[in-house]
Amino acid sequence: MIFLSDFLNAEVVDVKQHRVGRVQDLIVLMTDPFPKVTGVILKGTKVRSIDWSLVRSWDNKELSLKVEGSQLQAHQRLEAELWLSRQVLDKQIVDMDGRRVVRVNDLQLSQVDGNLLLVGVDIGARGLMRRVGLEGLGRRVAAILGLDWPHKLISWEAVDPVKSDVSSVKLRIAHTKLAAMHPADIAEIVHELSPDDRSAVFAALDDEKAADTLEEIQETGMQASILERLDVERASDILEAMKPDEAADLLADMPKERAQLLLQKMEEDEAEDVEELLAYREDTAGGLMTTGYVAVLHTLTAAQAIDRLRELEPDAESVYYVYVTDEEEHLLGVLSLRDLIVAKPDTRIRDFMIEKVMSVPVDASIRDVGAVIAKYNLLAVPVVDQHNRIQGIVTVDDVMDRVLPPRVAARRRRIF
Amino acid sequence: MARLGKLEQPLRFVRSRRGRLLVLISVVGPGVITGVTDDDATGVTGYALAGSQFGYDLLWVLVVTAICLWPIMEMVARMGVVTGKGLSDLMRERFGVAPTLWAMLLLFIANAATTVAEFTGIAAAAQLLFPFAGDTARYVAVPIAAVLVWVLVLRGNFRIVERVLLVLSLVFVAYAISAFMAHPPWGQVIRQTFIPTFHTNTGFILIFISVVGTTITPWMSFFQQSNVADKGLHPADLTYERADTAIGIFMTQIIAFFIIVACGATIFAHHVTVDPSDPSAFSKIALSLAPLAGKYATLLFALGLMNASLMAASVLPLTTTYAITEAFGLERGIDKSFREAPAFLTIYTTLIVLGAAIAMFPGAPLALITNLPNIVNGLLLPLLLPLLLLLANDRRILGRYANGLFTNVLSGAVFVFLTGVTVVFLASIFFPGLFGG
Repeated sequence: MIFLSDFLNAEVVDVKQHRVGRVQDLIVLMTDPFPKVTGVILKGTKVRSIDWSLVRSWDNKELSLKVEGSQLQAHQRLEAELWLSRQVLDKQIVDMDGRRVVRVNDLQLSQVDGNLLLVGVDIGARGLMRRVGLEGLGRRVAAILGLDWPHKLISWEAVDPVKSDVSSVKLRIAHTKLAAMHPADIAEIVHELSPDDRSAVFAALDDEKAADTLEEIQETGMQASILERLDVERASDILEAMKPDEAADLLADMPKERAQLLLQKMEEDEAEDVEELLAYREDTAGGLMTTGYVAVLHTLTAAQAIDRLRELEPDAESVYYVYVTDEEEHLLGVLSLRDLIVAKPDTRIRDFMIEKVMSVPVDASIRDVGAVIAKYNLLAVPVVDQHNRIQGIVTVDDVMDRVLPPRVAARRRRIF
Repeated sequence: MARLGKLEQPLRFVRSRRGRLLVLISVVGPGVITGVTDDDATGVTGYALAGSQFGYDLLWVLVVTAICLWPIMEMVARMGVVTGKGLSDLMRERFGVAPTLWAMLLLFIANAATTVAEFTGIAAAAQLLFPFAGDTARYVAVPIAAVLVWVLVLRGNFRIVERVLLVLSLVFVAYAISAFMAHPPWGQVIRQTFIPTFHTNTGFILIFISVVGTTITPWMSFFQQSNVADKGLHPADLTYERADTAIGIFMTQIIAFFIIVACGATIFAHHVTVDPSDPSAFSKIALSLAPLAGKYATLLFALGLMNASLMAASVLPLTTTYAITEAFGLERGIDKSFREAPAFLTIYTTLIVLGAAIAMFPGAPLALITNLPNIVNGLLLPLLLPLLLLLANDRRILGRYANGLFTNVLSGAVFVFLTGVTVVFLASIFFPGLFGG
């Protein structure tokens, strides 16, 4: 097997067997599915980098060139190139199959049709030992003990490199593989990355996916820090795609000026919803509620109400309850989705709605909200102002997160 | 859903956790936690020995170590804020496998030695608390403490444990009160704080090195950076984090100051000799609290020592384990099972078992063991600092937050000072006659 560590620091000799310098790094071009080695970074030479095509052969920590040392031509650098030792080796990458972040101990190369390709990542102890020149020793020890000492390799196709180098910002790593994962999985992985890498991942996701992933990250501090590192336009787009209550929670964790700026950049409708939520204390029903509920006018018929529901559904967090209001948003009653569907299409909804609807005031404590939801077995409870106008709903899952002890609610416990 | 009216409302931010976070950080931020944890069993012992044996002669060292701490802790705090990564993570990415391996090996040895010292502190505290039980006290207390630390950190909530121990650290105030009640010659105390005194005998040099070594330790850099990184601060909050760091250093040093003054005004002033290799050393040191607590001095001292030891015993193995697993990309996390993260749990458990076992060794000279790691740490620092400097100067890592000239010059001076201390120490070992014994 060929590894990057076989090349690093290898002696470079020219066609006349004169010593030219040493190998510092290999350059690959980010081709699909496997990157191709296109150049060599040298040290101890006048020419810093040469084309891989000048390499005749390599063996046993020695790289032989096809030309004379004095005739070396510099390698033309391209945008989509990566320095393996500087930018990939020892860094963290995402193992897509294992859905975790691992560290690159070595890189596996392979010769295919005259090209040297980057095919795999060594994440095992064997790679570590190879790096310090002890692989042979380890192998002998394993042999004496009669043990098999396997390589721990992941195919390059199954990894997603995370950039962590300021100088490589130009090189936009697509993160296409990562973007295809479930938001909950992306969130899990993002947890383990550094802030810059997190933002790089988010930059690669579309707005909806980014919003879903952000909602899956339950630490608001981390959510805020991710958005803070994205540019304002992009951050406000993601906020728009988020549920208003989650967006409000997140903005509360940002410096005020930054939050104001983001709100201004958001679409007016969405910004308004979020702003309203921000005006409530976080430990009250108002602070916990979302504006993603469904309300219909009491004058509608069942059929009209269902039509209205179709229009609103994409945005609503809970459609199991349909709240009935008058023109000024005073809460008059509630319908279950089932009531609405089984009713005769032309019945007016105020004739069959449940008028005795449980609600909580905006300043109710979270504990009280939880008590109401638990007592009446609700999936959500409407939140009203002092004039009984509906302001939002609190859903059972939001209240669970807050009422349960934090250890149960947190998906993962971490210290550092 | 469709909102009627209600436009043009003034934007009211009733909710803003951000401000609170920043305030909190400057009160009990990573710097303060690191600073207080720094006054651990080895710290209390080192400062107490300094005060008991040499009175106020070593007070000036605290000013020097504070100056040394600043660039080091500021650099790691800055790296934590800007990169959001731990120190060993950065080392691995910047220096590759071999140098990281050496750094981790040294860190492991130093921290293992320090962990032993923390459990020894627990042993000593237990013996002071239950003098009638003799050696049985530590044979019971140390395993209990080991299990407690293991369980609380891995299966309990580390952050809560940390906060509780931090609050209990208020017991250190006892040294300040005791120091005032002993009526030391304040003029001389202040003078000796700012004007260096030096003796060229091995005893003084050993204490000098251990005071430096207990104050500036490699593990603090790792702990502080991970802790800062975990806060997820934005580079714009760097000012707060610097304030936090400065306050942390001040806390470390002010506690040390009062321990030295309390011991100087009592033990040293009454010409009690404290020999660290003598089993009764701790009960003599405890007398420093007599002006405040009278016959309860021993009790108070033991509680302070117990708390400081427990705090560091829960921080040190964890920091070490995180540093090593992070450097080598091994599966880590306190919520992982053994099958998920074998290396993490093995290293963590080894450190605690090793620490506890050595601390229980029959007839172990407790005060000596608690002082030994100070010397190891003191010797390691000149090796760690160049690595820190390389990282903090790297613009590929820190961009425009890389070191400025001031930090580099100051760090250079610190490096020269620490190397000098090490050379002097080595000379005193290999040429015992050099300083007149």
